[in-house]
Amino acid sequence: MKSRVKNLNAKIKEFPNYLKDWIKSFKGGLTVFCVIGLFLIPLITTSPYFLGIFMLSMIYAIFSASWDLLAGFVGKVSFGQAIFFGLSGYIVGSLLKFNNYIWWSALIIGITFSVLIGLIIGGITLRLKGPYLALGTMVIGIILQKVFALYQLKPILYGDQGISGIPPLSSSSVVTYYVILILMIISFIIMIKITKINLGTIFRSIRDDETGAEASGINTVKYKIIAFIISSCFAGLAGGLFVMYNRAINPLVFQPLYSFYALVMAALGGIATISGSALGAFIFVFLGEIVRDLADPLFIFSIILILIVRFASEGILRSALERLRDFWDILIGR
Amino acid sequence: MGVILEVKSLTKKYSGLTAVNDFSFEIQKGEFVGLIGPNGAGKTTIFNLISGFEKPNSGKIIFNGINITGMKPYKIVNLGVTRTFQLVRAFKFMTLLDNVKVSCLSKRGKKLAQDYGIDEYASTILASVGLVDKARIPPVILPHGDLRKLQIGKALGTNPQLLLLDEPFSGLSHEEAQGITDLIKKLHDDGVTVFMTGHVLRELMHLVHRVIAMHQGKFITEGPPREVANNKIVLEAYLGRGEKFA
Amino acid sequence: MIEEFLVFGAAQSAVYALLAMGYSLVYGVGGILNLAHGAYYLLATYIFFWLLPFFVGAFGFILGMILTLIIISLIGMASYLLIIKPLQDHEISVLIGTFALAFFCEQLVSVLFDPRTKSISTIWDANINFFGVQILLHRIILIITALIAVGLVTLFINKSKLGKSIRAVSQDKEAASLMGINVDRILMYTVTISAFLAGLAAVFYCPIDRVAPYMGWVVLTDSIAIVILGGMDSLPGSLVGAFILGYVRMFTNFFIDPVISTIMPVLVIIIILVIRPRGLFGKKEIK
Repeated sequence: MKSRVKNLNAKIKEFPNYLKDWIKSFKGGLTVFCVIGLFLIPLITTSPYFLGIFMLSMIYAIFSASWDLLAGFVGKVSFGQAIFFGLSGYIVGSLLKFNNYIWWSALIIGITFSVLIGLIIGGITLRLKGPYLALGTMVIGIILQKVFALYQLKPILYGDQGISGIPPLSSSSVVTYYVILILMIISFIIMIKITKINLGTIFRSIRDDETGAEASGINTVKYKIIAFIISSCFAGLAGGLFVMYNRAINPLVFQPLYSFYALVMAALGGIATISGSALGAFIFVFLGEIVRDLADPLFIFSIILILIVRFASEGILRSALERLRDFWDILIGR
Repeated sequence: MGVILEVKSLTKKYSGLTAVNDFSFEIQKGEFVGLIGPNGAGKTTIFNLISGFEKPNSGKIIFNGINITGMKPYKIVNLGVTRTFQLVRAFKFMTLLDNVKVSCLSKRGKKLAQDYGIDEYASTILASVGLVDKARIPPVILPHGDLRKLQIGKALGTNPQLLLLDEPFSGLSHEEAQGITDLIKKLHDDGVTVFMTGHVLRELMHLVHRVIAMHQGKFITEGPPREVANNKIVLEAYLGRGEKFA
Repeated sequence: MIEEFLVFGAAQSAVYALLAMGYSLVYGVGGILNLAHGAYYLLATYIFFWLLPFFVGAFGFILGMILTLIIISLIGMASYLLIIKPLQDHEISVLIGTFALAFFCEQLVSVLFDPRTKSISTIWDANINFFGVQILLHRIILIITALIAVGLVTLFINKSKLGKSIRAVSQDKEAASLMGINVDRILMYTVTISAFLAGLAAVFYCPIDRVAPYMGWVVLTDSIAIVILGGMDSLPGSLVGAFILGYVRMFTNFFIDPVISTIMPVLVIIIILVIRPRGLFGKKEIK
């Protein structure tokens, strides 16, 4: 016990140096640069449209990172990320619109619900081998989509029109922007930290060799579920924030296609990087806006997706970063 | 000394094939026992059954007085029984240090490792198997001999009382096998009970104090290595199938 | 009402049988979960829709069917060579790749045609009196054709040389390749056959159903449901599953609510995965 306290004290004393070293490192410097940049955006423009694009990107970043944590680090590929996104979205939306909750308490409830559902769905699907896990989660998404659209259940589930006219987090887009930004930063810090501590090591062992992990004395079932509920927690956070940005939600949110978006964004940035999901999300959303006037965005995306899957297993982030890293090294004279 | 492992009438059937047939034996604390039998005799199945990776159709497995039959593998590890695999299993995209660290993060391993600091403890284990200079390397580029060492390091991380080694010399040159032999001997001297299967028997027969022989899922005989090596049925089982023996 | 239910159920089961056979073959032989299976159906319906105006009369209709089948088989072959084969090493990549293909096909038909639902009229539009029920001739031809196709495929798998190779690969890929079987070629044939069967289902069913971009997903989930119900790698299982699901669907459609019937397949998947993941007749492990 004493040695652990000693350890902790040593770590706390080291922190400022650790921080300095990190910023000097390439990845750290780049991250700080981007984060500062994001903080400055509302000073450059207060147009709800532009802020909205950034907000959507940040929301998707959290969403995509939540998938990456589960798939890239624990090796469990789920096609059901949209389930938690959507469920939390519906709950937050309905609490905001019909029950006049404050945004943060609605959000907490939405996240809690996501975690509970994550526990159930994880319990069912995590027992299945890879493709079946993907299938099972995909199918649950489909069933939710259909069930929420049923006109018979309209009184409780709002039917295929969903909920609209959801009150925003704040009348000012700028305030909403900063809330989402801060929540995104916190989410990423948490998720990245998880991958670096012992829990992350256990997760990766399950990814690399689940039987081997079990043979090393790890309760793989327990840790798979922990990973699943962490993932569903952040997906739920993203869903709740989405509904506050979008002001509306409908059953289409449960489509496997949306779960797929998380995958695409993570793949764009590099699977198993967490931070890559942010880059992937921004690229995804910005590209979608640029392309919107030229052609049907979905069509373009489907082409891009096939190309990515077919040719880039590493993600764009890695090779782009490598070139930037060489540039950075020259800059600081290494 | 005391019995550490009791296997009673263990049977495992697959559709049409009986892999293990009414198999019984005991292992005393501190022993060094070998399990021999030609290819397909059922040795790995026995290991799978003891370590919980497969459930027997009937029979009991008792470790330190606890009935571990059909328990989940990780629970059995945390009670003190660790097994290695015939084909080395490693976490391919993690460093050697992390590979051992995972074992140290098991409930049982953690209890011991915590007092030294988990990373330090894992390093020490790596050092004890002679791999500490490769701590930051992933297993993918290691030669087979080192992988076998890693395997033992990973097993050590769980602080086992009983170590089940499934063909630990498989695929090794004589020099490499010698290195592993020394490691295992030291382990045993430190108090770990070792139960080992072997197919190439040269190293095994010199290491173990007692040998259990099996063929086609059934118990044949047991006794000191010299005796078993000269047992008629055992010889037939091996030579009759054209297997290498000594 | 009951008689209609029986016949409609038979037609639905017939279509399902064609879809499920192909899907189960591909999974059983190659371990491939082809999420583009629905896309084969989808493309076939649109190809048929597009070709028909060029031909006239009964002969043209049948010619259109045949051409569609040829084209969709080639597309199936291409999908194997371009998407499935290169990604074979990682199961998940195959899932993602075929999903992407399915997504692309849906977008493609929406862009090339338009997103609205269309219909095709059949030449067999006479109503036949079958045991007191008025049944569309087309439905009867569909059932008969499906029966013949299922029979032929079963015979092919069990008796022909190629069929033997297919069975060998489905049992043990490595052993089969060691025996000199070109596993890659076999997989390609299997995927092509599955595309053909999906196309067959498409050209026969869409004239009494519809042509729409979302049909790919409907067909995919239905196929998955049948195959999971019957056991993913069991051909007889998928036929049984097709029969059961076909009637379950028709039952919900007729006697409960048509909208709820679209949820049935998905419910089936979830229930089976929870209770008995291996399905009715499945052999391979999925846990």
